[in-house]
Amino acid sequence: MMDDHVELELVPYLSGELDAAARTRVAAHLAGCVGCRRLADDAREVLGRLAATLPAPPEIHWGRFRADLARRLEAPAPRSWRARPVPLLAGAALAALLVVIAVRGLGHRGAGGDPLALEDPGIGARLGLFESFRVVERLELLELLENLDVIRDLDRLPQGEG
Amino acid sequence: VVSDRTIAEDSDEALCRRVAARDERAFDLLVSRHQARAYRVAWSLLRDVEEARDCAQEAFLRVYRTAGAFRGDARFSTWLYRIVVNLCLDRRRRARWWRRLVAPAAGDPAADDPLERVAAPGRAPDELAGEAQAMSRLWRAVERLSPQQRAALLLQVQEGLPTREIATVLECSEATVRVHLHRAVTALRTTLGRQA
Repeated sequence: MMDDHVELELVPYLSGELDAAARTRVAAHLAGCVGCRRLADDAREVLGRLAATLPAPPEIHWGRFRADLARRLEAPAPRSWRARPVPLLAGAALAALLVVIAVRGLGHRGAGGDPLALEDPGIGARLGLFESFRVVERLELLELLENLDVIRDLDRLPQGEG
Repeated sequence: VVSDRTIAEDSDEALCRRVAARDERAFDLLVSRHQARAYRVAWSLLRDVEEARDCAQEAFLRVYRTAGAFRGDARFSTWLYRIVVNLCLDRRRRARWWRRLVAPAAGDPAADDPLERVAAPGRAPDELAGEAQAMSRLWRAVERLSPQQRAALLLQVQEGLPTREIATVLECSEATVRVHLHRAVTALRTTLGRQA
């Protein structure tokens, strides 16, 4: 049966980097295990084919490479966030504030997005005001003022009517 | 004052220490020694010339800016591999996220074929049609591996790095690298018509 340890050693074995003792042990195992031998043969074929057909990278102009590198070397290095903590922290705080506002706004929308639902909490909070008669009295005064305006405008009605 | 001849004989690690002291000549020399390697690895992982060039340049910029952090525990080349691979994996991760966002529909399958994006072979295409088709399938399967499996495989097959060094580059254990390599090979052998 296949031994996991030997299985993992096949590539180092095939590339010749195992020490003498490990090499002997793997070789002995391969001699007695058909499955491992087949896997080793396949691995040898795969690695051999890859090595034989390695695509060469397209040529580039090394003078241009060095010139570009020199130009980039002269440019100021990008500053890490540690070098500019204040603007980043301010930005993070602003982002957090916007998130809080957005979440609170969504939370106040109420079920179904009913616009009247937005008003309910406000009206409920002010119900105590309506218990004060003087407030209502003043509202009536406002109505009286409106009536006075109407009476004043009676003079401007077209003549001959009624 | 150190002469150019002395610098040219310096090891990569010694040059890196000079770069930490802002020695421009040492940096030039390091770049000239490793630019092809950085670009090759970046292109192998990204399969895009402009992206690979940009990634390789970015890697050298990081070398210049963080040379003081290189302790010399590993070889300079291993450190450079780690920077390049990390940059490439980050870039692929971002690109994948962006593609999912703006283009969720599958595109032209041929556009994802790495062999479609490399220079044509020297021999006549019809002469190698069957072989090319098999290789195309194999490399397409490589493209479908997880980023870590693919990086481990390319570092092993293309760069010839031993497991221990791949583990340093990928910042994982040797056992994890062996698992990556084993799973990669197991996935690829199905393209040869073998059962996993």
